[in-house]
Amino acid sequence: MSDVSVVGPAWLDDHRDEVAVVDVRDENSYESVGHVPGAVNVPYEAIRDPTSGTAGHLPTPAEFAGLCAEAGIDEETPIVAYDDGPGVYAARLLLTAAALGHEGELYLLDGGYDDWSDSYETETGPVEGDEAASYDADEPGSPVVGRERVETAVDEDETVLVDTRSAAEYDSAHIPGAVQLGWEDLVADGSLKDREEIRRMLADRGLDADREIVLYCNTARRLSHTYAVLSELGYESVYAYEGSLTDWIREESDDWSPEGLEQQVREYADEGFEALVDAHGDGVLDRLKLIGLYHQKQRGYFMLRTKVPGGNLTAEQARVIGEVADEFATAPEEYGGAEQNAEFGDAYLDITDRQDIQMHWIELEDVPEIWDRYDEVGLTTMQACGNSVRNVVACPVSGLDPEEELDAQSVADRVTERFLGDEHYANLPRKFKVSVTGCHENCARAEINDLGLLPARKDGRVGFNAKIGGGLSDGPRIARDLDLFVEPDQVVDLVEAAADFFIDHGSYLDTAVNRLRFLVAEMGVETVREEIEARASFEFESAGEGLTERYRGDHVGVHEQADGNRYVGLNVPVGRMGGAEFARLADLAEQYGNGEVRVTLNQNAVLPGVAPDEVEQLREDPVVKRYSPDPGPFTRGVLACTGKEYCTYGIINTKNRAVRWARELDEWYEQEYDGPADPDAIRMHLSGCSASCAQPQIADIGLRGEDRRTIEGSEPAVDVGLGGDLGRERFIDWIVGSHPTADLPDAVRRVLDAYAADTEDEPFSVWVEQTPRERLFDLVTDRAESTATPTEADD
Amino acid sequence: MSKGENRTDHLPRSPGVGDDPREHKDTNTPPGKIRFRDLDEAVIEADRCIQCGSCAAACPSDSIGIDEIDGKPTLVKMCTGCSRCWDFCPRSGLRYERVIEETEANREGSTSAYAVRADDDSAREAGQDGGAVTALLAGLLEAGEIDGAVVAREREDEPLRGEAMLATSREELLESGGSIFNQTMQLGEIDRVVGESDLDDPDLALVGTPCVIQGAKALESFGRPGEGSEIALTVALFCTRSFEYDRLTSLLVEHGVEPEAVDHLDVADGKLFAYGESETLLETDVEAFDAAGLPGCEECADFTGRAADIAAGNVASPDDATTFVVRGERGADALDAAASELEIEDLGDDTALRKLAGWNRRKAEETLPREFDPEGDLSIGYEQHRERYDDTDRAPQSHNPARAYQYERWC
Repeated sequence: MSDVSVVGPAWLDDHRDEVAVVDVRDENSYESVGHVPGAVNVPYEAIRDPTSGTAGHLPTPAEFAGLCAEAGIDEETPIVAYDDGPGVYAARLLLTAAALGHEGELYLLDGGYDDWSDSYETETGPVEGDEAASYDADEPGSPVVGRERVETAVDEDETVLVDTRSAAEYDSAHIPGAVQLGWEDLVADGSLKDREEIRRMLADRGLDADREIVLYCNTARRLSHTYAVLSELGYESVYAYEGSLTDWIREESDDWSPEGLEQQVREYADEGFEALVDAHGDGVLDRLKLIGLYHQKQRGYFMLRTKVPGGNLTAEQARVIGEVADEFATAPEEYGGAEQNAEFGDAYLDITDRQDIQMHWIELEDVPEIWDRYDEVGLTTMQACGNSVRNVVACPVSGLDPEEELDAQSVADRVTERFLGDEHYANLPRKFKVSVTGCHENCARAEINDLGLLPARKDGRVGFNAKIGGGLSDGPRIARDLDLFVEPDQVVDLVEAAADFFIDHGSYLDTAVNRLRFLVAEMGVETVREEIEARASFEFESAGEGLTERYRGDHVGVHEQADGNRYVGLNVPVGRMGGAEFARLADLAEQYGNGEVRVTLNQNAVLPGVAPDEVEQLREDPVVKRYSPDPGPFTRGVLACTGKEYCTYGIINTKNRAVRWARELDEWYEQEYDGPADPDAIRMHLSGCSASCAQPQIADIGLRGEDRRTIEGSEPAVDVGLGGDLGRERFIDWIVGSHPTADLPDAVRRVLDAYAADTEDEPFSVWVEQTPRERLFDLVTDRAESTATPTEADD
Repeated sequence: MSKGENRTDHLPRSPGVGDDPREHKDTNTPPGKIRFRDLDEAVIEADRCIQCGSCAAACPSDSIGIDEIDGKPTLVKMCTGCSRCWDFCPRSGLRYERVIEETEANREGSTSAYAVRADDDSAREAGQDGGAVTALLAGLLEAGEIDGAVVAREREDEPLRGEAMLATSREELLESGGSIFNQTMQLGEIDRVVGESDLDDPDLALVGTPCVIQGAKALESFGRPGEGSEIALTVALFCTRSFEYDRLTSLLVEHGVEPEAVDHLDVADGKLFAYGESETLLETDVEAFDAAGLPGCEECADFTGRAADIAAGNVASPDDATTFVVRGERGADALDAAASELEIEDLGDDTALRKLAGWNRRKAEETLPREFDPEGDLSIGYEQHRERYDDTDRAPQSHNPARAYQYERWC
């Protein structure tokens, strides 16, 4: 292995002619700000392979050899590297060279470009390099080591693990047994501290020169500097854990692969839930999400999430889903059995607002059977949850819509297929949501996805404009325009490049703030675009002309298709329907439709391909009557997440409460509401907590579960927001925090009456925007009358 | 916030004090919205946390756990933004003096003070000042009045550091006897210790510092239906303050005492004593340990744990006895039920107790940046807190990025 020496500017001035000086700063700094005369430029970014994931960040030997050869360096050339700081980046180049078998001497310029330029001459502009050399790089080896070496180090005393991050970072998490030695503590004013002082720091930590030392940090960057320093001080057995903490944390659990997890479930299906947990710990419950099994509030039972890319099911698939729910999604007697839910009974399923289908009370014992039935018809639960590319949403009527520009479904299918079962992409820093719209009506809600695609035209070609970094939950953001046009064939590559970018820059440690949108906010959309382009296999072109004309809230009702047939949009309030009823939809799809059942982002279902003259007959079916395509506006617009009934996070119950409210408000609307504005749907979205799974931010009336504690006790409550409108790229304004649920229907009536009194035909969101916040607050809280509100039980 | 209590609640909510990417977003925050992060900055990062565990007990999604290193509350799962941790924290959203006021107003029966000794030598040996609390609990267990008692004991792996435990027998009580001088997040540990036991739906006695009892009382009186109902008896230990574990042990070391050598600590008559197996290792003015006190304790005016059914401590009674303040029917019934284990005398002169309580209250009122107001609203909103605490030495501190919440559990 090659040792690294740390040299000062004076040394370099004396030896400049004998070495290759490598400037690892970016090209702009190198050319415009200046560089050491004769130095070649190998930008740091070029030697970090961002796509290599947990294996580390080293470039391939061929890539590195190419860079060196181009810079006129062969494997025996002595190299002096510098950057514009104390040398972390330069040291990374030296460590990379050492790992790939460089034979020449390696020097780190202490103090970097700043110290050099204080005393010595510099030059600007590109350097006409020596003639290209040939460079022979080896496969990565010492001093870079993998996790096996670290595991050994954890278990034995011979090797010391050294954490080169700050003390605070070390305090919050470190590899067992590691000693902390922050790289920054070794430098002062941009250059290395006095060698004796460093030796004392090392001695304090028991780091003698004859010990074997393995360094790590978060992503194998900072450790490079410490490697150079220890090497300079004569330490001979120093190694670098290339995966560092990101790898350690992700790999610490025995198995994060979708296949491995499936195997575990099958293995323990006979012995049952507790045996699985005994064998693999409670942590297995977090990992099982990756394959669609989400442990529900009631111990031993799961929510099973089935992915439906683009919401498109064959009748056969829909029938299997319905039958599985009917047979397995049944509550045990101790939880109420057939009467578990006052509103919905038992054996039901939930259509979600991301075109998944969820069912509850699934027991481990039944999962293999369910998977087997799913396999036969091409359904999957793999990567339905967890930190992976989630179900790809798309226009629920793609291929049917008369004005559609592109077939979103086929694109969604291709993206789905690319990532299914891919272990690398199954462990992203966090979840990654993709939306594809092919029509003019943005019905797949690009703005609230990590990556959203909307139809566009460029130079006569039809493709997509991309948006990036949208999302709700905590810190909601509308996705930003990426100024990028892609052709349908490039979409898979784009998603892959964006996921690679996310893997490289998303923090695996700071889990609270690591959705893609936080990276977009931090780095700026232009930088993110550059980063993604660097990882994509095609050249980026600027956005085309967007073809989105409006935002479509839902697909309820009977609508004409491009082929003259009709699609019948059924309204499934809060998405919940009996498994048997869902299976019945499959029958109807075969009998009347084109053999498909579609599910929408409004928790509804669509039966496509119904002949115009058969629509009336279809309407007579009891299931179609129950989930009528002509509902009242509240029932049509209501959306709810799972809520406290099954979800460990839910603060209040949601589904039952929301349907009851919708029913009550529809009656009022029909009988008493006297507004000039007469919308088809009033969108009321009720989420059980701030995680916002029911997307309250895009609703007319957005509600989010709360607990209200007063001197009388605690009662269920909601945060109330008004005026969300995706068509105007507008999230709701949160008006009132923690309002008692008992008063909510009245609060809605007060608000709508005021809206009706104020306006002729203005959209609700415009009215909200124009009405003073204080007035809206008073309307919701009834401040004017200030009567005591009744309380409501949370059932 | 109930209606009319706070007319500022329609105003936009102030952002937290630290820079958090989640603050930069495309919508506002609902008025009054409070997340664990706000509690973290206003209480924990501000070094005001008293580690009572009320936040963890109140969290409906069990998202708040105990940080292994500093023993303070930390997020272990996603925060759902329900505000309950704030609402039940005696250092932020819960006006603890109002909790006490309400408790006293609703209490049936009278209050009496006694000097109490254990009738049994082993309890006397194990407990502090006469082993009376240990004997009381043992008597209640044996009379079937309670199924277990949530108490603190010394951890096996760290000398003098306390942890919550559920004692279900006389032997286990003896094991826990003697005061622990640091907090254990006890209230938040009840579910865990009960879950790890064989008990199903037990009636419990909760023994803790006055703040722990305030939290428990608030959950029982102002929580969800049935919340806190497992606690059949509350026992408060007289308290002027508790210590921060690390600071306490480093001060001991500074005084030449190795924590490992300490069998137990005691504070009496303004002195702090450290006892070894058989000898006194240290006797010094308790002020010498001021720096180890939890700063949050200075805001508490509840020396005698007035929300508790029984409060106990070594003030005002003879050296070998414990003073019991027994309140209301629950307190009196408990004392009766355990009477065979105890020697009970009227306390007589309670001047010392009243003086210390008065001194403690005056000190707290001086320290509290907000007004001390037993008649005030039960709730203290985020804005109200900021109004009083910002620009004081108790102001919210920016969330330390190194303590960023690291957890794998999400929805």
